[in-house]
Amino acid sequence: MNQVGNIFRKDVRHQWIEIVVSAGLLICFAWVKMGEWSRPGIGAIANEGAGAVLYVIAGALTTPLLLISWMFLIVRAVHGESPAGDRQFWVTRPYEWKQLLVAKILFVIAFINVPLFLAQTFLVYKAGFQPAHYLAGLLWLQLFWTLVLLLPAVALAAVTRNIGHWLLALLFVGLFAIGLSILAAAVPSSSFPTPVDSIGLLLVIMAAIAAILLQYSLRRTAQSRWLIAAVAGVIMLILVATPYRRLIARAYPRAKPDFPLRLSLAVAPSGIHYHLRNRVPVNVEFQLSGLSNDSFVELNGYILTLRNSSGQHWDSGWEGRGGMSFPEDKILTTNLEISKDELDKLSASPITGDLMMAFTLYHDRNQRSFVVPRGEFSFPDLGWCSSDPNNSISGLTCRVALRRPQFWMVSSEMASSTCPLANDQLAPKPGEIVRAFIRGGSDPAEPGLSPVLTTGITFWQTSTNRISGICPGTPLTLSNPDDVGRSRIEVHIDNAWFDAYLKALNSTRSQ
Amino acid sequence: MSAIQTENLVKKFRRVDALQGFTLSVPEGAVYALVGPNGAGKTTAIKILMNILRATSGRAEVLGVDSSQVKGHRLESIGYVSENQEQPEWMTVEYMLAYLRGFYPTWDRNLETELIKQFELPRNRKLGHLSRGMRMKAALASSLAYHPQVIVLDEPFTGLDPLVRDELIQGLLDRAEESTIFVSSHDLGEIETFASHVAYLEEGKLRFAEELATLTSRFREVELTFDAPPAMPPQPPPNWMQMSNSSAVVRFTESQFDAERSAADIRRIFGEPRNITFSPMSLRAIFLAMAKAGRNPA
Repeated sequence: MNQVGNIFRKDVRHQWIEIVVSAGLLICFAWVKMGEWSRPGIGAIANEGAGAVLYVIAGALTTPLLLISWMFLIVRAVHGESPAGDRQFWVTRPYEWKQLLVAKILFVIAFINVPLFLAQTFLVYKAGFQPAHYLAGLLWLQLFWTLVLLLPAVALAAVTRNIGHWLLALLFVGLFAIGLSILAAAVPSSSFPTPVDSIGLLLVIMAAIAAILLQYSLRRTAQSRWLIAAVAGVIMLILVATPYRRLIARAYPRAKPDFPLRLSLAVAPSGIHYHLRNRVPVNVEFQLSGLSNDSFVELNGYILTLRNSSGQHWDSGWEGRGGMSFPEDKILTTNLEISKDELDKLSASPITGDLMMAFTLYHDRNQRSFVVPRGEFSFPDLGWCSSDPNNSISGLTCRVALRRPQFWMVSSEMASSTCPLANDQLAPKPGEIVRAFIRGGSDPAEPGLSPVLTTGITFWQTSTNRISGICPGTPLTLSNPDDVGRSRIEVHIDNAWFDAYLKALNSTRSQ
Repeated sequence: MSAIQTENLVKKFRRVDALQGFTLSVPEGAVYALVGPNGAGKTTAIKILMNILRATSGRAEVLGVDSSQVKGHRLESIGYVSENQEQPEWMTVEYMLAYLRGFYPTWDRNLETELIKQFELPRNRKLGHLSRGMRMKAALASSLAYHPQVIVLDEPFTGLDPLVRDELIQGLLDRAEESTIFVSSHDLGEIETFASHVAYLEEGKLRFAEELATLTSRFREVELTFDAPPAMPPQPPPNWMQMSNSSAVVRFTESQFDAERSAADIRRIFGEPRNITFSPMSLRAIFLAMAKAGRNPA
């Protein structure tokens, strides 16, 4: 332990200014986050004077500066005894590599993990929650930041000689990320979330640990760098070689005859008046039938494949889409997108297509009632919420500790809303329902530096997209939708439909 | 027993053969100088001994330990000072010594104080603010204060003024009795004053290695004066190097000097010269002669 203490004390002495700066930024970060709970939006802050302007600037700068200060602490600590290179004074001194590594880990824990943990615990407490109840989530956040940020930063520092080299390595990482996203855009369906995604993260973590151990135990810089490069290559290979179509088909089996959706393709010329990012939309409508009162369906995504008689084809790959339909909705409408250039190319000869759409069917369970109190109130199993009694369209604003519920639905009859109607607002009809959804992750905490999430809950009507306000006294129904099955619907689109569609498209272009 | 031993050491950097079968034995207690021109492979050899670099093939040992295992506690008995080594420049001299103290069980506080005084080191000045000479002194002090059994120095005197050089050499010699000193240099003049053994490395190959006293005793500059210009032998003995003549004077370097035998060889080849002069040679003159002859004198 002698060497650990000796090296640790030396690093503290060397970096005390950086440590103080980092701690100051963390305090500033906590102050900014606490301010976010109580302050109004930026527009209103502009009227509050110089203090508010300072707050806005601090809010924008604190998080990136805090991350930079941590990176600086890590890089300087590791480069204090850099395992890369052959000119460092420590290489010919009787350092025990395990003790050196422990000293560096201790430094990171002492000046990054522990202060962050304390700041997060403080924020949870100040947000009105009992930190002890959220210990698992707080520790999970530490693990998350350690694995996705601190560990790779230490690994990069361990294979570089100085901060210039480290920045260069960071530039390579950035270029790799850009390359990966370009590759992902070129690989159809790679945006479909698969379990393979986590293999990439696992590989990065394992490579970082291996590079650190290799460097500290044997100082094999070239091999460590090759290892990191090889893992980057493997991640690219995984992206290219993953059988996304098969995984999508497995995740979404073909719909059984009793599935409560029937697809109908509409030409819908009114829906194709915009050309966004060189893409043209195709309106698709689904007719709902047989959906029980306690169920609803959610559209998750689609794959559209087009081909013409000349043998040319175009594949959208997996495109994620949202949209929900409830028993009172008769129709679910969604827009698909086609590349305009591809469509022009394909339309030189007769086009046909195949459309696959993926859905999840939910059953609502565990329904319970709740009447919105006045002022700030504790929303069961969620956090602290408040409503604006004078606003007919604003929903609820809530503070949540560490994570939102995995999937929550809150519904309300518009007619029972206690919000005052705006002058031009029509009184709702009986039976019109507005809903809001809250979706969190399944992990003990949602990724983020702040353990307190500020979330707005907006209520709207799915069929009309009308937004409705929630005011004190409004009765709500809470429920936990249960995923009861995923299905895909496939349909062949014949040339006649495309002829009609292209005619409609050309007429809107000429307008 | 050898303090340092290498056997057929080879180090290749891509297309460059930095060491080509380097074999050396440094006896305990020696002040062993590894000399050679820049790029000869001296630093590579030392870095392999110190486990900074790995050999391509061959074997190296320091204090009986394979050099690949020279790390951790094994460095408690080895001192290393190099002109190329980066120092923690933010540390003051005093703090550096205090910091390193924790790594060496045999650290001698009295010796540390003595070395600070002997080298006139400014305790509170940062290493980054020291002159090159002062920095080398601080590095040497930090490598002597724990009584290392072996001290390895890589070009420690390069670029230093003569006064600092003498101080460093004196500091080393004061500890020579308790340690084996292995020092590389391309400056022969400085080596001659204190080395007990010398090895000459050129283009990665060891040209020779022997005690300095033996080396200087077997090399002589020979000048022969004749009454008339003599006939030059078509094939002089192999131990006669750089033979030249000017009118009635012949000069060469004898690399296996023995007063009687060398004189007898001269008489056998040239007859009786009017005058024979055998002059001792400096180390620098010996190496120049060898380098020019481009051959192994042994």
